This record gives sequence, C-alpha cells and structure tokens, in this order.
Amino acid sequence: MTPDIKIRVADLNFSYRDRTILQDVSVEFPEKTITALTGSSGAGKSTFLMTLNRLWENIPNAQMQGTVEIKLQNQFRDIYAPDLAVTELRKMVATVFQVPNPLPMSIRKNVAFPLKLSGERSRGLVDEKIEQALKMANLWDEVKDRLNEDARNLSGGQQQRLCIARALVLEPEVLLLDEPTSSLDQASTAVIEDLLLKLKDRLTILIVSHHPEQVKRIADKVVEFTDGRIITAP
Amino acid sequence: MKRYRELIAERVFLLSALASSAITVAILVFMVFMGLPLLKQGGLYQLLLKPWAPFQGSFGIYPMIIGTGAISLLSLLFAFPLSLGCSFLIGSIAPPSVSKWFRRLIELMTGIPTVIYGFVGVFLLVPIVRELFGSGSGLCILTAALVLGIMITPTMTLFFCDSFDRIPKAYLDAADALGASPVQKLLYVILPAAKQGMINGVILSLGRAVGDTLIALMLAGNSVRVAESVLEPARTLTAHIALVIAADYESPEFRSIFACGVVLYLFTMAVTFLVRYLTFSKDQTV
Repeated sequence: MTPDIKIRVADLNFSYRDRTILQDVSVEFPEKTITALTGSSGAGKSTFLMTLNRLWENIPNAQMQGTVEIKLQNQFRDIYAPDLAVTELRKMVATVFQVPNPLPMSIRKNVAFPLKLSGERSRGLVDEKIEQALKMANLWDEVKDRLNEDARNLSGGQQQRLCIARALVLEPEVLLLDEPTSSLDQASTAVIEDLLLKLKDRLTILIVSHHPEQVKRIADKVVEFTDGRIITAP
Repeated sequence: MKRYRELIAERVFLLSALASSAITVAILVFMVFMGLPLLKQGGLYQLLLKPWAPFQGSFGIYPMIIGTGAISLLSLLFAFPLSLGCSFLIGSIAPPSVSKWFRRLIELMTGIPTVIYGFVGVFLLVPIVRELFGSGSGLCILTAALVLGIMITPTMTLFFCDSFDRIPKAYLDAADALGASPVQKLLYVILPAAKQGMINGVILSLGRAVGDTLIALMLAGNSVRVAESVLEPARTLTAHIALVIAADYESPEFRSIFACGVVLYLFTMAVTFLVRYLTFSKDQTV
C-alpha cells in the first residue's frame, strides 16, 4: 500500500534579489515518513523548507510563484490562500532551526510558549502538555527537576531537543528541520535521530541534511537539490 | 619609533581624559563655592525648603524643585506611550519602506532646536489650553509638560528602536516559526528582551527633560508660587537660573542660582550613575 500524500508542491519558483534560487520545483511528500532534502550548500534546500511554512515572507526582496498544498486536518489546503492565516499554518507546520534557538526564559516557559500564543490558560492542561511534549522529545527525564531554570543553560543537544519539544507541543502535522544536528556532537545527534524515527508515526518529517550517513540511517525518501532544481525524486 | 609614537598618543589621550574629568569636578566645586555665602547665611534647609521671596530676604528654591519635578515627570508620562507607539510602528508593525521613512523623520526631529518647539507651543498649544480649560493664561505646567513630552519623544523612540534592534534574530525567528502574530511577538518576545535598554532610554530622556530650559521658560508661566494644579504656572530650576542671571553679581538672588546649579548637577549625576548601574548589571546577566 502506498502511503497517502501529505504535501504537494507544483511549479515552485523562488527568487531573491532577481537571483533564481528555486526553479520549477514540483514534488510530493508522503504522509508519516521522513524525507531527507540533500544537496550542496546554496542549492536551495533551506529556501525550499521556508516555502512550506511561509517563513521566507520576512525576507525583503524575495519572490515566490507556484502552489504549495498541505493536507491539514484531512483536507488539502493551499497554504498561500488568504483564508488560511499564516499564524495558524505555522502552528500545524512546525519548524526546528539549524542552531537551537530557545527563548530567553525558563525551560517550562519555552515549551509553554506556543500554548500561550494560542490562548491556552488552564494551568493543569498546560503542565500536562509540557510533560507530554518533553517526553516525546526524550528530554523529560533530564529536565523534570529543573523546569524553572533558564533554557539557555542546557547543553546544545538538550537545547535542540527542547526546541523540538516546543515545536511538538501544539501537535503539528508536519515537522520541518533545517540541519538540526549540524551544531551537535555525535552522541547528541544519535539521540535526535532516534527521536525523529520515533516521531514519524505521528507526523510528516522533512529534514535538510548534509550527512549521507544520517540520510541513510533515518530517511524513507531522499530528494536531492542541485542549483535550485530537484534531480532525484524516487 | 612606533613605540615612541604610541607613547605620545597614549599621553595625549590620558591628558584629555584628565582634563575633561577635572572640568566636571571643577564645575561642581565652582558652584558650591559661589553658593557658599548664601548657604552660610541661611543654611541648606532654608534654601531647599523655603519659598522664593527676595524682598523678604528668602531665597529658597523649593518651588522650583517642585516645578522641575512636576513638569519633567508629567512630560515623561506623555512621552512614554507616544514613544512606545512610535517604536512599535518602526520596529514591527509598519512595512519596511514606511518604517525607514518614519525613522528618518524621528531622527530629524531630535535635531530641531528647543526654541522651535517652544514657539509652536506658544502660538498653538497655549491658546488651546486656555480655551479648553477656561482658566488662566494657558501658560502652565500642563502646556510645558506636553511640549516637553513631544520634544523628548524622538530621543526616547530612538532609544527604544535601538534596543529592539539589538534583540537576537534567533528569538524573532523562533516566535515567527511558532505562529506568533506581530503583536504577540512584540508583547511576549521583543518587550521582555528589550526591557533593560528601554529603561535606560527613559532615564536619559528624563535627564533631558530636567535639563531643558527654554520650553519651561516660554510655556510654564514662571510663577514662583508652588502650583496647586497642573493648570497653574510654575518655574523650573533651569528657567529660574536663566531668569535670575540678569540680576547683579553680588546680590543674594544671584548667589541662589548656584544652589539650583548644584541641585541640577547632583540630579544629573544620580541619573548617570543609575544608567551605569543598570547597564552594568545587564552586562553581567547576558
């Protein structure tokens, strides 16, 4: 049985200051799998990721054409359609950056931050979801006794898992990761790879990766970028 | 040869540093020295807590201290929300083209001479206040504080903008990626992270408000009585100095302005040390 399609990208073109970054990209991503985006640096992988959560819209002088549809709440939606608020989209399509970026607040408040944004007030429910997300990110046992400490005191690997927990707390359907382990040591990388394998039962994961071994270890599917085009999409 | 040149440069810089700090100290010594006869005559208590009635031999600057405090604090009350709004507009709400243009305008405003603000106040605001409240001449604490508030707003706005600009991009990216709206990003991420810089901006703007002479002189009415409401005239320490300086050199009136100078000097010092302290404690936590 072939898995259902989760993300459909058609005729995507992207330019920045009149320089073409992505050209005629059409690709589909199956649901509940890990897809690795590979290619040399500057090939457009990170930009492609940003077209899936509209994060590129903050960049001045950038332009995009084409359509991106994601199946959200069991229904394909054009993520650039005016009836889908960008804030809602980003709650369902979560992002983890290359360098861990915890906010300057406690561990608890970091994970609770998305809940605060969506107006969740019940303390009991918030605590429950924080615990759930931290457990999902394999971080709970390490931080459960110091949830009120500044998140920036955690190690790099722990910070990245915290960012994953924070991304997961609203139960997104898609998780985008932009080289999430490139700033981490081998042990921390292994922990995060295990974590992603565990998570793919719940959501669709797209990961930009430079390491062929990492791709081999975790990816169900590989999409390779060269000069803004996709050359292999098996 | 190179070492010789460096040595000379070092000495020159040391000399200029010593000269500027010596001048700062000398000014204080000079003011205390010039005010000394009056201090001996009536004591510090008389000077700070008595009213100003030169014909009765009372040279207290108490009403001016109250006037300065009322006008500068009230102006801060006007300027703070205004600056907050302007900096939000520049920093996150307005599109980049608008915010760039707006920021240039604000920068331009910091360069406008105080007397221009005073003029506008006299011809525009004074009649309005007079008509609106139907009491007095319109030259009062409220008028002066409003114009002073507008005058310090550009400075405060730029301080706020600078502290917004210093927030690490990673924090902003995190907020965006988690689906924060621009307003949520402002309230939950930008404001807490910029707090320290904003406090510095408020304190330095307060220093500017306290130190300004012309606006209070032109708009506050210069009464030496202690005002009972913001619609009554008052005189600030700086305006008082400017007004009395015309009196002859040996009179006790003239002596009294040195006491005003000392009070202003000590206040500015206190503000400077407060800013230092706040910036220092910030450096330690980051």
